[in-house]
Order: sequence, then C-alpha cells, then structure tokens
Amino acid sequence: MSFFSFQLFRNQRVTPFTDPTARFEAGRFGMWLLIATLAVIFASTLMAYVFVRLSPNNIGNWPPPHMPPLPQALLLSTIFLIASSGTMHVATLAARRGEPGVGVWMVATLCLGCAFLGVQTYAWIDAMRDNMAFTKHLYAWTFYVLTVLHALHVIGGLLPMLVTTRNAVRGLYGPERLAGITYCGMYWHFLDAAWIVLYATLLWGSTR
Amino acid sequence: MTTLDATRPLDTRPSADNYLTHSRGVLSWILTLDHKRIGVMYLVSVLASFLLGGVFALLVRTKLLFPGEVSWMSAEAYNHFFTLHGAVMVFLVIIPSIPAALGNFVLPIMLGAKDVAFPRLNLASYWLWLLGATCVVLSLLMGSFDTGWTFYTPYSTTTRFGGVVPVVTGAFILGFSSIFTGMNFIVTVHKLRPPGMTWFRMPLFLWALYSTALIQILATPVLAITLSLLAVERIFHIGIFDPAWGGDPVLFQHFFWFYSHPAVYIMIVPGMGIISEIISVHAHRHIFGYRFIAFSSIAIAFFSFLVWGHHMYTSGQSGLMNVVFSAITFSVAIPSAIKVFNWLATLYKGSISLTTPMLYALAFLFLFTIGGLTGLYLGTLNTDIHLHDTYFVVAHFHYVMMGSALIAMIGGMHHWWPKMTGRMYSEFWGRIGCTLVFIGFNLTFFTQFMLGSQGMPRRYYSYDQLPGMAEAFKTYHHISTGGSYIMALGFVITAIYLIHSLYRGKPAPANPWGGRSLEWQCPSPPPHDNFKVTPRVGDCYDFSVVRWDEASNGYIVDRSLDPELNPNAPKRKGHH
Repeated sequence: MSFFSFQLFRNQRVTPFTDPTARFEAGRFGMWLLIATLAVIFASTLMAYVFVRLSPNNIGNWPPPHMPPLPQALLLSTIFLIASSGTMHVATLAARRGEPGVGVWMVATLCLGCAFLGVQTYAWIDAMRDNMAFTKHLYAWTFYVLTVLHALHVIGGLLPMLVTTRNAVRGLYGPERLAGITYCGMYWHFLDAAWIVLYATLLWGSTR
Repeated sequence: MTTLDATRPLDTRPSADNYLTHSRGVLSWILTLDHKRIGVMYLVSVLASFLLGGVFALLVRTKLLFPGEVSWMSAEAYNHFFTLHGAVMVFLVIIPSIPAALGNFVLPIMLGAKDVAFPRLNLASYWLWLLGATCVVLSLLMGSFDTGWTFYTPYSTTTRFGGVVPVVTGAFILGFSSIFTGMNFIVTVHKLRPPGMTWFRMPLFLWALYSTALIQILATPVLAITLSLLAVERIFHIGIFDPAWGGDPVLFQHFFWFYSHPAVYIMIVPGMGIISEIISVHAHRHIFGYRFIAFSSIAIAFFSFLVWGHHMYTSGQSGLMNVVFSAITFSVAIPSAIKVFNWLATLYKGSISLTTPMLYALAFLFLFTIGGLTGLYLGTLNTDIHLHDTYFVVAHFHYVMMGSALIAMIGGMHHWWPKMTGRMYSEFWGRIGCTLVFIGFNLTFFTQFMLGSQGMPRRYYSYDQLPGMAEAFKTYHHISTGGSYIMALGFVITAIYLIHSLYRGKPAPANPWGGRSLEWQCPSPPPHDNFKVTPRVGDCYDFSVVRWDEASNGYIVDRSLDPELNPNAPKRKGHH
C-alpha cells in the first residue's frame, strides 16, 4: 500500500517547467523568498529583544548582577559557522567548475555545522551551570530563545545538508547539476549571516 | 517554448478525460500534485470550516436575543463561542479561501501553465493547513480558549483554559501553509507567464494574488514568532510580554497587529481581484483603469505594513504615534477608492448581465463601500476613542471581511464553478440565495453600527445592566439576530443548489459568461494538463473578440480577430 502510494506520488509531474534551466532559476528565486521570510522572523525577534533591552525597566539592570556575561564559547561557535560557510562556498564553486573535491568540502561543511551545534550546546550547559537559568531573568530568557531559535534553523538545515553531502560524495554535482547544492548553500550562508547579526546584537545587549 | 498557431481557436471541446476523471481513488486525491485538485480540496475544507464558524456565529447571535443570563449558555461558553467563531473564520476560512482555494485552481490556468512552480510544496501547504486545522480542533478537546481571536497577553498567558497552546500552534502551522502558498504564487507569476503576457497584460486577479502573496511571505513570519513567544511564555511563566519580568504586554499587540493588519489585506485584496474579473466579464466591457487597479493592489500591500498602530489608539502608545498611524490609515482609502471608482467606470455603459456572480460583485461594491468608509471613522483618533471596542468595530470589520472578502469569494466560486465542476447551477436559486445573503447581512451588521455608536460594547455576554439602554439594545440585537438567520438561510439555499448542480446541473460550456482570459479557453472541467502547449495571449480584457456560439451554447474567443495574435485582423475602433 505504502509502496503503491509512493509510486502514485512519483508518477505525477513534479514540475511545470520544461526547461531545466528555467526550473533551476525558479528554484533559486523560491529560495530567496524563503530566506526573506526567515529574515523577517529573525529581524522581528531581534527587534523584540532590542525593545525589551532598552525598556526603562531593564536599563542599568542588564545583565543583572547575579548573572554572568555571555558564554565565551559563542566566539568559537561563530568561528565554526563562518568557516562552514567558507567550505560550503568552496564546495559550490568546485561543483560549478566541475572540479573534484565537492564531496570533501561538503563533508567538511557538515562537520563544521555539527561542531557549531555542539559548541552551542556546550554554551547553554555552561551558562546554566553559571546560574544563568532560563526562568530567572529576561536576560537569560532572551539569550536562550534567540540562540535556540537559530539552532533550530541549523538543525532544520542539517537534514537537507546530509542529503546534499551524500550526493556530493557520490559525485552527483557538476556544472550540469547544481540545484541541490546551490539551494543548500543559499540557506547555509543565510544562517551564517543571521547568526552574525544575532550574536552582535546579543553582544551589544549584554554590555551595560 | 512552443506556441500554438496563435490565431487557431484553442481546443475547448469537453473531454471524458479531465482533471476530475484523470485518475481515480482517494489516494489519487490526497497525494495529488495537480493544482486544480489541491484547489478543490482547499475549497471543500474551507467551506466545511465556514459551516463550523457559521454555527458558532449563530450560537452567539442567538444568545444575544436575551439581554440577561440564559440557562442554556453560560457566560464562559459564550466567550468560547465568539472566540472560536473569530479564530476559525480568520485562520481557517478567510485567509485561505481565495488564494489557496480559488487562486490555486485559477492562477496556473490563467497563465496557460501546467501547474504552479512548485507542485509538491503546494501539496505540502494543503497538508499543513489540515494539520493546523487539526490543532484547532485539538484545542477544543483540550479545554478550548476564550481569549478572543487576538490572543492578547497577559490574558492569553494566564487564562485557565488549556486550549491556548494547541490553537496558537495551529495558527503557527496555518501561517506556514499560507507562506508556502504565497511563495509558490510569486515564483509562478514571475517565471511561468505565457508568451504575450507582460506584467501589464496579466488578469487583475493575478495582480491581486501577487500582492497578497507579497504580504503573506513578509507579514506572516511575524505572527509565527509572536505566537511562539506567547506559547513559550505560557508554558514557562516568564517572557517578554510579562511586565512582572520587565517585559511589555503592549509589545504583543504591536507584533500581533504587525501581522494581523496586513492579514486584513491578505483577506480583502484577492477579493478585489475577483471583483475586477467578475465586473469586466459580466459587464462585457474592458476593465477601466487597468494600471490603476494593478498598482493600487501593490499600494495597498505597501500601506498594509504601516498602519498596524490604528488598532492600538487606546493602548497607551504615544500621542505622536497615534497621529502618524491615523494619517497613514487615511491614505489607505486612496487605493481602495481608486478600485471602486474604476469598477464603477467599468460598469458605466457596460452590457451588464445580472448573473449570480455579478449580483455578488454588486453586493461587494455596496458592502465594501460601507465597510471602507466606516473605517475612516475608526481611523479618526477622537471618534475612535468613543467607538473602540464597541459593536461599531464589529460591524465595520464584518462589512470588510465578510461583506467584502467572503462575498467576493462566494461570487468567485460562482464565477468559476462551471469551470471547476463542468456543471451549471440554477441561476434562479443563485439569485435568490444572493439576495437573501445580502438582505440578511445588512440587517445583521448595519444594526450593529447603531448598537456600537450608542455604546454597546463588543464581546459582552449580557446587556441588561447597561443603564437606560437595555431596551434599545434589545431591539437592535433582535433585528441583528433575525438578519443572521436570513443570511444563514441564504447560505443553506446556496449550498443546496450548488450540490444539486453537481448531480443534475446542465453541462457547462467552456465559456459560459463571455470571459476572455485563458481559463475560459480550455474545456470545462479543464484537462489534467490545462493546455497541451502554452498558448499565446493578447489583451485579456478585450471582449470585442468574444462572440456567442450557438453550437456550444456558450461564448468563444475568436482569436483570429485579435490584432495582437493576428496581424491581418480587421481593424476595429473604440473597443477600449
């Protein structure tokens, strides 16, 4: 039954485009719209953060005296994420030029992405050990909400990246076939940019 | 890209192999990637939700027949019912009704395309809608909610009813359904227009859907994050909307309305698109002021992001902000009025057929004018202080959201019903249904302008304690409730004759109304592929090339007469 329904799904036309280039262009355009949507999510969350941070209730009390500054580990995770953006770019360039190494660079990107998440997890644990409890103050609350919001998007990106990396290792990407790796890269670079803005805002906010 | 010999009439003969018969079985529907089937599934789901939301409304109205407490509905139950009515009608009915149901069906055909740009994403949108609707139903089982559809903090984070988290989860998911539909439409309009269709040759319904899609993808994410923060705050009892922690509940209102005001235009702009189609086709006259109507859709989309503060005049935001929001609010009247005047100018000296869709379009003109103009009183600071949170507001937004957006949707449904089902409905009963809805609607809601201006607050369970006004309010409430029953009767009749037409209706010709755009140049119901090859198009509002065809008992578009498709076409004059 499930096999049958899967076949039913596969047997249908999945694109109205007859020209693969046009389809690729449409896909890239769609990705830009998705990124615009996600950018609005991050921008509005950051706006809420800035609003709360600057409210008279919190001026002079942020971070509160009993809470630590932001975990130092975030600096390391930032380096990992920027590096992963770099490897992602190199992988895409290699695919576009038909050069070897797409797989290796994708594996590196995937590893760096996982490392980013690992360091983020360490940063959360570190902060909690440091008396920065989620339910104690909005300073802690906003820190976890913003970083978790970003981490959720990273996790959401790792699944397609896993597929892309598998395809890359198998050597499927080249000048003739760029869609998957391009979409994956667009999303990944966006996460990188979003993180930099987010981290900078947090850094600004956590100085008295 | 291949194009037909441009002047040859497109094949409009009805065929046994159409999108409804192309494959069979339940799975062929729920796993379909065909935009037409997805549109039909949306339509059925939206109409089912409409029935549900309508029953809630009738319960609320019936309670209000009695000024005091009644034994069969507690104040608590009343709060639940009006909240559910609002939430269901906004999130499950009006927002998806035109873009997701009718838009999905019509948009690719109007473009001569085989489907939307991302068919799988389109199906995913529908499934997300179902999932979101399930969450809403789930919230009913988990204690329901009584916050009003606006979920204002701090009440929503503290109310003892447990349905808040499931329903905001549902609204979150529905939001993504809406975003994905919007993304799909934008890419489709950009990338899949047929040869000859420049931006300013698009049917105005497409401009409307395009503007709506822009709002969908840029405003809805704000709702997503707002509702997520609300849910987190409700679960952990700390958050940025809680003043006890240094947060601000008014911040929630800003965020909520930053989405929900544009959402009002997600509801009305596609309706305006439908009205542009219906009025020009059923008046058989070239649309007047095409560019103005097209640009006014974009202008409305733009302004929609700048006026959210007019929902919050009494929230304590600064006087300067109130003045700025009030001024920008007035400017929305300009693009709206541009549309109304252009529709009137289209009707002027048109050859108007008073078909059911046209009756709905005329109803829209009346109701939208009333709804729009009363908005100005609410946008004015000093009158709003008096009218805020009264029935005047309820009446105003029902005139716009129901009297305009939903009436346009039902008009559009009648307009494209022959195309979707291949059947004609009874014009006689159609006109009766429309008339009853129109009369019932005005009885229901015009009365509420009176109620509100005399001070009846909205959302009140009882009004027997209001000093000196209880008797007057009672009369108004009786008229209003009576009107709602008449309206319900109109909708029941509509449902009956539409369902009847599915089984007994006359087979519909390809072009029953004399339409000119591409959806009227393919068979009714359309084949699975819409068009074998992408057709070339000319001016889709030039009705001089449309003529009656006795053999098919419908109109045909004579492409050989179109100077843009056939350079040798005889010169005509004065058809604009």
